[in-house]
Amino acid sequence: MSGSTTGSARDAAALAALALAAGVFAALSSDFLGARNLSMLAIELSTTAILALGMFMVILPGHIDLSAGSGVGLVGAATAVLITIYGWPAWAAMAVSLVLAVLIWRTMGSLIVTQRMPSFIITLGGLLVFKGLFWLIIRSATVPVSSGGRMNLLARLTTTYLPPAAGWALAAAACAGLFGLWFRRARARRAGADVEEGFLKTVISAQLVILFVLTMNHFRGVPVPALLLAISAAFVVIVTERTAFGRRLYAIGGNEEAALLAGINVKGTIISAYALMGGAVALTGFMQTAYTGAATTTVGDLMELDAVAACVIGGTSLKGGRGDARGVLFGALIMATLLNGMTLLAVSPEIKYIARGLVLSLAVWLDARLSRA
Amino acid sequence: MTEPLLAARGVTKRFSGVVALKNVDFDVRAAQVHALCGENGAGKSTLIKLLSGVYPHGSYDGVLSADGREIGWSGVADAQKAGVAAIAQELALVPALSAAENVLLGDLTIRRGLVDWADVEGEAKRWLGRLGLDIDVRRPVESLGTGQRQLIEIAKALRRRARVLILDEPTAALSKTEVGKLFALIKSLRQEGIAVVYVSHRLEDIFELADRVTVLRDGATVSTRDIKDTTREGLIRDMVGRELGELYPRRAPRPGEVVLELRGVCARADAEHELRDISFSVRAGEVVGLGGLMGAGRTELLMHLFGAWGRRTAGEALLGGRPLAAKTPAQAIAAGVALVSEDRRRHGLILEQSVGFNLSLSTLDSLARKWILDFRLEESLGERDRADLRIKTRGLSSSVAELSGGNQQKVLCGRARRCQPRVLFLDEPTKGVDVGAKIEIYELINALTERGVAVVLVSSELPELIGVSDRILIMRQGRIVNEFVRAAATQERLIAAALGQEVS
Repeated sequence: MSGSTTGSARDAAALAALALAAGVFAALSSDFLGARNLSMLAIELSTTAILALGMFMVILPGHIDLSAGSGVGLVGAATAVLITIYGWPAWAAMAVSLVLAVLIWRTMGSLIVTQRMPSFIITLGGLLVFKGLFWLIIRSATVPVSSGGRMNLLARLTTTYLPPAAGWALAAAACAGLFGLWFRRARARRAGADVEEGFLKTVISAQLVILFVLTMNHFRGVPVPALLLAISAAFVVIVTERTAFGRRLYAIGGNEEAALLAGINVKGTIISAYALMGGAVALTGFMQTAYTGAATTTVGDLMELDAVAACVIGGTSLKGGRGDARGVLFGALIMATLLNGMTLLAVSPEIKYIARGLVLSLAVWLDARLSRA
Repeated sequence: MTEPLLAARGVTKRFSGVVALKNVDFDVRAAQVHALCGENGAGKSTLIKLLSGVYPHGSYDGVLSADGREIGWSGVADAQKAGVAAIAQELALVPALSAAENVLLGDLTIRRGLVDWADVEGEAKRWLGRLGLDIDVRRPVESLGTGQRQLIEIAKALRRRARVLILDEPTAALSKTEVGKLFALIKSLRQEGIAVVYVSHRLEDIFELADRVTVLRDGATVSTRDIKDTTREGLIRDMVGRELGELYPRRAPRPGEVVLELRGVCARADAEHELRDISFSVRAGEVVGLGGLMGAGRTELLMHLFGAWGRRTAGEALLGGRPLAAKTPAQAIAAGVALVSEDRRRHGLILEQSVGFNLSLSTLDSLARKWILDFRLEESLGERDRADLRIKTRGLSSSVAELSGGNQQKVLCGRARRCQPRVLFLDEPTKGVDVGAKIEIYELINALTERGVAVVLVSSELPELIGVSDRILIMRQGRIVNEFVRAAATQERLIAAALGQEVS
């Protein structure tokens, strides 16, 4: 049917874009495909993708969050300030920041649905307010994630790698899971259910997992952020595809009035989606700030747009109601590859901005084209 | 008898293995209106697409011929050249362009490289004038009504010397006056020698217009007859494929105790829309019909009780003896009320999702085991709904948008039934639904009332209101003004009550 043909056209376009970008970067820099850079790419992908997965759950019911990027900076800054200046233990600082982020995003969600204000405007306001707060609490300076080189939970977040054996154990578990799911689908199919068996997909996914662990172990091992991404991704896949809440997100994005009349608590569902987004912002804020090594004024800059671009490239409709988490992960991979490659090639910030803008516009243009076809 | 202008002989069309048309014969002659009818999904759309060149030669078996010669069209453009024009339900006009540009679309008069607007507008005015449409042809099409747009399509076709005009459900979105005008136009076109294929499942339209009528069922021709040899009952029998004992198979069980009771309910949304002093009760197993004109407050009453319209200003509603004051549909459903709303595409379905998704939407929590949806349970419930309600679909995972109107409506009824309501509100449940599906919906009402569900039915089709309801309440200007028991209800009395005239 038309849905699957546009879907596969989009998949092919996205795959071609990724191959092209990776090919160009590999040709221009011999380091691009090196284990060290791929390990960094994995960490960068984790931050981009976790934020994009949060954004996905907000876009699904037809909303958006433009404040995510400055939120990332603010959460990271709040945590760093509590640790470095007030001497809190890292875990406590992170816990408090996480809870605060969830509450703040929940509040934005309630403002949007109870006061009937467009999410675009509320979160644009959030973008400015959070940016201002962020710069206030770090006094527009640089606050390191740990004082005097003493390691803490926050600083370790992006500098810890799993030992090779643990990486392999995880890979084995992931492959077992993949084949287990395949086996269940195959059995259901034999029982007459209308499901895709997807043996080839399972084999390719398993190969990619093994290749990933192999490459990461070549450097220092599987980075912890990659593990966090795997957990977040599994969480979002299950929430959106296998829970009532996920169904409601799709229903609201597809037809809000019909969803309301079907007895769905539309407001509550949207508020929860924003609360989850707050969680994603906090997690990304910890990792991004730790990866930078300190809270500085530029942390999180424009990350909301990378997240939106990842969603759209991955087939999420900005009108809501359509898309899936796997596509978003792929979109995040494209965005992270572009940014990583450009950084590696020491592309000037001016050109980086232009490239990000063009990719975002191109993705939205494709979305409009393909959803009309 | 003249040679048919366009004929299909023994035509079979398959879509990836599924047979959409089986050995169909159909022809249309000059100066004739040939009606094509059948339930949704019977193959009407496939046949008219075939006749208008959408499927190229070689993609079907059998012979298409024009003026007695076999034709080998490779697309719609060839069909248009041969004088065949199809006016689809979704009109092929460019909304932002003017009426004139649309009439001459792709064929604007060019003089020295520029469009000669005076000529274009003059020509468009001439063609539209012929069809009795006197408008400013510079107005964009999007500012015109559906009837006017249809005339623009017809003008476009006639200007390209169409000899065969295929009209697909042309009255579906028209007002009564527009329908009258369209019928007059079709009759005058017939006099000019144009052949018309008229696709519809409105029997009134067919008897008014057609010279001949062909019925399709399950992709095959059931009958082709002259209209003078055809009766309503015969046509319905051919369409549905079984003898209809009665169009309204109401089996009223003995009513039980009062389930829903309203005492002086007043509610308002704004100054113009309010419900005033509404009192009535519905017993278990009873169907209470709500009649009245458009805007009399029937939908508002159902929506108010369902928690989706207005604020209660006085009075009380009781459901099974407990106060019913739902502020949201979720509360109403929890209290035991279910609603099938009037506009299924706007207020009912999530169109881009599957049949199964739409069936489960109101009862997701009951499908979850420790947060995770039980897909197996969902599928077995879905298959039960599909069988009980005879939802015609390839499977629960197919898109609900692909279903015919009647089957979409059955999906919504299935969703409401899953809520296990004590009271079911049905707002125009058979609007735009073919005869077969209508009867299946009436049978569902019977099945539910036999289990003690109380039903409130809003319908603007008086025969349906009388045929299905055990009692009928007439509303006017937000009030209930009359009550009739079924035996005393006649169309004349109901209309008089709805209009506020003396009832004799």
